[in-house]
Amino acid sequence: MEFKLEAHRIVSISLGKIYNSRVQRGGIKLHKNLLVSLVLRSARQVYLSDPCPGLYLAGHPGAPAAPQQPEESAAGPPAGWGEPPPPASRAAWPEPEPQPERPAVPEVPRAGDAEPAATVTAAGDTLQGGEAEAPEAAWRRVEGPRETAVGAGGPAGVSGVCPEGPEAARGPCGCPAGDEDKLSAAPRVDRCLASRPAAAEPPASPPVCARKRGAAGVGGGPADCPAPGSTPLKKPRQNSEEQPGGAAAAAEEEEEMETGNVANLISIFGSSFSGLLRKSPGGGREEAEGEESGPEAAEPGQICCDKPVLRDINPWSTAIVAF
Amino acid sequence: MHCSVKECQCGLCDLSEPHSSHLINGNTADIISTVEFNHTGELLATGDKGGRVVIFQREPESKNAPHSQGEYDVYSTFQSHEPEFDYLKSLEIEEKINKIKWLPQQNAAHSLLSTNDKTIKLWKITERDKRPEGYNLKDEEGKLKDLSTVTSLQVPVLKPMDLMVEVSPRRVFANGHTYHINSISVNSDCETYMSADDLRINLWHLAITDRSFNIVDIKPANMEDLTEVITASEFHPHHCNLFVYSSSKGSLRLCDMRAAALCDKHSKLFEEPEDPSNRSFFSEIISSVSDVKFSHSGRYMLTRDYLTVKVWDLNMEARPIETYQVHDYLRSKLCSLYENDCIFDKFECAWNGSDSVIMTGAYNNFFRMFDRNTKRDVTLEASRESSKPRAVLKPRRVCVGGKRRRDDISVDSLDFTKKILHTAWHPAENIIAIAATNNLYIFQDKVNSDMH
Repeated sequence: MEFKLEAHRIVSISLGKIYNSRVQRGGIKLHKNLLVSLVLRSARQVYLSDPCPGLYLAGHPGAPAAPQQPEESAAGPPAGWGEPPPPASRAAWPEPEPQPERPAVPEVPRAGDAEPAATVTAAGDTLQGGEAEAPEAAWRRVEGPRETAVGAGGPAGVSGVCPEGPEAARGPCGCPAGDEDKLSAAPRVDRCLASRPAAAEPPASPPVCARKRGAAGVGGGPADCPAPGSTPLKKPRQNSEEQPGGAAAAAEEEEEMETGNVANLISIFGSSFSGLLRKSPGGGREEAEGEESGPEAAEPGQICCDKPVLRDINPWSTAIVAF
Repeated sequence: MHCSVKECQCGLCDLSEPHSSHLINGNTADIISTVEFNHTGELLATGDKGGRVVIFQREPESKNAPHSQGEYDVYSTFQSHEPEFDYLKSLEIEEKINKIKWLPQQNAAHSLLSTNDKTIKLWKITERDKRPEGYNLKDEEGKLKDLSTVTSLQVPVLKPMDLMVEVSPRRVFANGHTYHINSISVNSDCETYMSADDLRINLWHLAITDRSFNIVDIKPANMEDLTEVITASEFHPHHCNLFVYSSSKGSLRLCDMRAAALCDKHSKLFEEPEDPSNRSFFSEIISSVSDVKFSHSGRYMLTRDYLTVKVWDLNMEARPIETYQVHDYLRSKLCSLYENDCIFDKFECAWNGSDSVIMTGAYNNFFRMFDRNTKRDVTLEASRESSKPRAVLKPRRVCVGGKRRRDDISVDSLDFTKKILHTAWHPAENIIAIAATNNLYIFQDKVNSDMH
């Protein structure tokens, strides 16, 4: 368990370094970034391979975690890891989550797969295929309720909850361990990830992640937790200046939000040097180019794409381009 | 050993004041980034983060002033590189001097190569100690004379003048590298040199600036597959066809330029299998080689990784013949060192003239020397407080628990901001130059003492 926590911490630190390297004078240093990505990959492997169901629950507000734990372990480690929590635990989720969503939860990953680039995590699922699929998928299912909220509720439709979806998917980018520096990574990734159809991007933020906020206690209470700027994720991508404000607020609520977010962030940034992107026919090339534009700050001739172009590249590639 | 401390280049402080305040004030341009003796040891060049090069010259020992036993004084200072901006990539190119290498002296002038991340420059350093006087048409100040006052012709003569050192850029080798240059090395043929960046090594001719030959290219077709980068490289001191380069994975590759135009295939691969008991998240980082140096004999290579220095025999690829622990007590602190970025520090290493002692830097302004013959090692400190001019350096000890002697430093009280990354050893004598942030310490060993 300690390995997991340490791995988690190392992942957060690594992501912060990767972000900071973008703003360093002299350009991105290939050697250092390579080493950081290797550490990230090692930490991620430990993080994801350690069958520790408790940690899954650590991602949720305190109270429900405890009672759920026995159920989780009863399901056995793989199941506890891979399966969505039984409906009983879902009930423990704060009110804001629309009831009808819940039964749909187990379907989410599949549905997510089918949706055209609906969420990063979903897309990642397709991409990642063989690589540590079970644990990865497990993480995505953790995200499930929020994804579902989006899928079912539509962008602006569902109250409070829904914005969580794509933001949650993008969330990892935005909520590292309470470090304001890293939080500002969010707008970058957001910018590129936001190439997704605008429909998937709900208007700014009801504080949905209230239920992810440990600080708010169990689910942050039935009422929407009034956390202004609850997550930097929600901020419109142009408003990167708002990050500090959001960062401060989000900084309070680390562990709960991060656990799942970090896993996704790991997925985006960690696996191979350029991020774990699989080579998909269209994505492969973009990834390669995107990756080059990352660490070496673009060979001559390559520039970071505009949004309209990014919309057509799959979200994984866009994450790498952002990087 | 006695010490002569060179003052900080900032010009703001005097010798008696500690220097850490400069870093607090943000004056980082004076941080020394490279140190190199020339082939005779008469000159010592330093480069700093602000793109400046300062050359020191050893004063000849004179009987009149026996106490100034060949001390080094400033000989010349010039601005080698300026910050640049790459508009295509929207990148600022740092002016920090990454490496300086002297060319063997072939006439009265001295030449050196200095490089930043992208551009290498060849500088010629000449002395002028005479000037012509007695021109017919111009007077001493250069004004035209009134011809009516000129009654006779004279032949101008050379008269001595105060020594003036002139430095001029003779070549600029630009646009050869996409990635950051980490090392340069002059070939023993004195005509070519190589420059290495993270993924490629180029061979240049000293007289030709508009083209270079790529001799090593480890860039993968798909950058996703990148697993290692080049960290340092050097030509063999005697065989002009051989060079070595080190990688971030801890391996060394010896290449022979006669074998092929592109030396991607190594002639020899020097690699030590990893000790599985030491595996951690940071194993890869600490195995990355930060410096490689051929011995003067050409038979051995010295490598530095984060925690050790290793001596390799060119005839044995399987493992180093000697491994010395520089600061193994840091092994349990790798996570903190990762957090504060210290784990990425690139320490250099150096041979003494006879290849019997090796030296490398560490933290807390400590540097370490290892005698290969007696297997003894010593830790010394480069600091104002403990090094007054002509004082004898006292060995230091880092205690790692267990019984602690009086002057021991505990691991937790080490100052990781005071790091000695760059050191140089005089090619023939026991004179060492230690760069401690923005101070240069020169230690001379007048007595031929053995390590204690």
